[in-house]
Amino acid sequence: MKKRTLSLCLAVGVIFLLSTTYSLAADKLISGNLRIVIGSKSTGGDTYQNSAIVADALAKKLDINVKVDAVGATAAFNTLKRVSNGSTVMIFHDQSYLGYLYGQKGYENPFEQYRIGPTVAINPGNAYLVAKKSPYKNVDEVLKACAEGNNIRVAIQPGGVSEIGYSAMKNAIKIQYPGKEECLVAVNRGSQSDKNQAMFDGLADVINGSVQANEQYTRLPADDQKAMSFIWLTARSKTIQQANPEGMGETSRADLLKYVDPNVNVTQDGKKNFTFDKEFFFLYNKDMNPAIVAELDRALSEIFAEGKIQETQKKSFFIPNFMPSSEAEAYLKDKMAQYEVILKALHK
Amino acid sequence: MEFLSALDPLFFFLIFAGSLIGIVFGAIPGMTATMAVAVCLPLTYALDLNHGLALLLGLYVGGISGGLVPAILLNIPGTPSSITTTFDGYPMTQRGEGERALKVGIVSSLFGGLLSAAVLFFFAPVLADVAIKFSYVEKFLIIFFALTVIASLSRNLLMGLFSGVIGVWLALIGTYDVSYGGNGDTRLMFDFMEPYLAEGFSLLPVLIGLFGVATILDEAEKGIKENTADMKLSLQKGAKFSFSVFRKQKINLLRSGFIGTFIGMLPGVGGSAASVLSYTQAKNFSRHPEKLGTGEPEGVIASEASNNGLTGGALIPLLSLGIPGDSTTAVLIGAFTLQGVQVGPLFIGENLDTWNTMMVALLTANLMMFVTMFFAIKYIARVVMVPKYILYPIIMMMCVVGAYAINYGVMFDVWTLLLFGVGGYLAAKVGIEVAPLVIGFILGGQAEVYFVKSLESFGTLTIFFTKSPIAMFLWVLIFISVGYSIYTAVKAHRQKQAGDNGK
Repeated sequence: MKKRTLSLCLAVGVIFLLSTTYSLAADKLISGNLRIVIGSKSTGGDTYQNSAIVADALAKKLDINVKVDAVGATAAFNTLKRVSNGSTVMIFHDQSYLGYLYGQKGYENPFEQYRIGPTVAINPGNAYLVAKKSPYKNVDEVLKACAEGNNIRVAIQPGGVSEIGYSAMKNAIKIQYPGKEECLVAVNRGSQSDKNQAMFDGLADVINGSVQANEQYTRLPADDQKAMSFIWLTARSKTIQQANPEGMGETSRADLLKYVDPNVNVTQDGKKNFTFDKEFFFLYNKDMNPAIVAELDRALSEIFAEGKIQETQKKSFFIPNFMPSSEAEAYLKDKMAQYEVILKALHK
Repeated sequence: MEFLSALDPLFFFLIFAGSLIGIVFGAIPGMTATMAVAVCLPLTYALDLNHGLALLLGLYVGGISGGLVPAILLNIPGTPSSITTTFDGYPMTQRGEGERALKVGIVSSLFGGLLSAAVLFFFAPVLADVAIKFSYVEKFLIIFFALTVIASLSRNLLMGLFSGVIGVWLALIGTYDVSYGGNGDTRLMFDFMEPYLAEGFSLLPVLIGLFGVATILDEAEKGIKENTADMKLSLQKGAKFSFSVFRKQKINLLRSGFIGTFIGMLPGVGGSAASVLSYTQAKNFSRHPEKLGTGEPEGVIASEASNNGLTGGALIPLLSLGIPGDSTTAVLIGAFTLQGVQVGPLFIGENLDTWNTMMVALLTANLMMFVTMFFAIKYIARVVMVPKYILYPIIMMMCVVGAYAINYGVMFDVWTLLLFGVGGYLAAKVGIEVAPLVIGFILGGQAEVYFVKSLESFGTLTIFFTKSPIAMFLWVLIFISVGYSIYTAVKAHRQKQAGDNGK
């Protein structure tokens, strides 16, 4: 009898334990492993850095394993399309829709193909630079040189974030000096190294770069072949104002503000200046369970409410910019529509 | 000397752990130094920069060095830069000199690693200024120079060249990637192939297919004839390792180490080009060029000294320009960005402590790699004693897992592995030569990008001859290399004819 009672107690105990575990697992929408694929193949770039910060915070908050995989845009989009159970999500930036607007292979309208998740940060570092010995010292001189019929060569990686500032300058020339926009010529280059090299070789007058990658080059003496100067940061002034006062490297926030609107004029429509903030956001499979979307929104809301992640982001020259999914989608849709107008105007 | 405080036991433990894990990654076909660094990169987030770098540099040096193990013992390059190690390393193993070949490779690796670390320490900023003198034109000519090895590697010159061209053609399949400044369009394929081949054939599955799977199929064709007792005999029958092998190879060691360092410091040229180029030079300068490829320690020395020479070389542009020199340093840069540390032309001056710590880590990693491998090699070499009917299925499994993992889980990479495995096995039957094909495949993509970009930038073919004194010098080297290959081919042909007539 004693034996039977013991067995019964044991069985009840096991059933209780199992049911609790099961119900706990069922309660947890996101458990085990979460894979974040990113649209960049580089682990040295801003997408990986930003995603690693977010992944670390999410792992702690949800008590799960989060792994960031730098698979590149095409592979990341393909993976996202394939996996709908919420175990894989994507983090990328404005390239997701700019690639589509520029007609790049592998890019589709992200708002139709995927579900847009929350925004997490802005990289305010998208920049345009000239050689320190260049005859052109600012954007105004570059645009005027085009107006005078001189060809200005701009080294960019075509089809996205790197090109958008070039398109904006071309648009500004079209508005200010109609017919002269052909004088601004794109020099197609790949990586940042290739763009820098184009300048060292004298094959580009202006290059696209970033505050993070090029700041040290701007502090080299003018007689150094590698020395460069910023002429334009595409970010909004109010975005840069949120950066830490020490800025990046030895270039303070106050110094950086000299290269943004309204100190630099690249008109968008003759009235207001063009600006571009490179924003990072989540993308999900279209059919991902809305409860998981809400859970990620909730977790990130809490993470940002705690305020620690902002410090880490700012230390790495990111500007915190959390918006939950629904807000982010409407905001990014509107942003895409604005850039679509500029690109369409250029092709008229 | 504040950096000395960072050199705690954990620092050295991380270097040791990194070297060991790196060696394992390098030694498993399909896993590379780059993958080892990428897998462990997130761990550095929890460490400080110095400790993180200690781990990653250990992985880097270990990963590059570990590649020689399967290259020598199994004819499968563990990493792309150990392809040329297979040319002489595997024939040595077949002759029963596996252990000797491994030791020759490890000593050469240590020499190459230390030489490049010294160059990095003393000349990094100066060499970074030299590196930026190499534009697309010069980089194309370096690749072209490396491609000339096809002529000297071919058993049948015409067939070898044909195989090389096939390799280049295979490399061009896929997208002309925008990240190389291309137009993003696909070419050399039908539309239905786009989902699979948009990014072309991945390098590593192709390599382990052509070398690993094809070798296994070849052995399968022969059937099971040997037993472990025979293998044991063959392991012990060859010449023993002695440091005297390096007595006549000092120039080869130095030249190969420098070539590796030099190629490493040119962003975008890559590790495989380094070992291919130094192997070419070893062959060109050898007193017995015909013997290279048949199991000469000279070839192993050239390949291994240069691929480890790459490590210090690739760190030059990383730390002096903020630009990674090869695919592994491209991942390594993540350790800096994760810690919010900028790398660029002022990095060394502004981060002297980190710089000194890195140098200690690099030096220690090379020494630890050497000690670990040199003394473990006796046991590692015994892998060839495992009966092939057990060994090959395990290798096959590792190849498949490695191929699947290399791009974070792409099934087409497994098909690529099998396709090239069967293709390589069949190609050898019709006389197509695998080594030239692989070299064409590895270098073809870069050759195209640099060629097209040179033309786009300067608009004329004459620029390849007139761009700079460096370009002209490279042409001289190319002509010497090609001329010498023709000379040795003609000489060998005449000798063969004379031999035939004498019969």
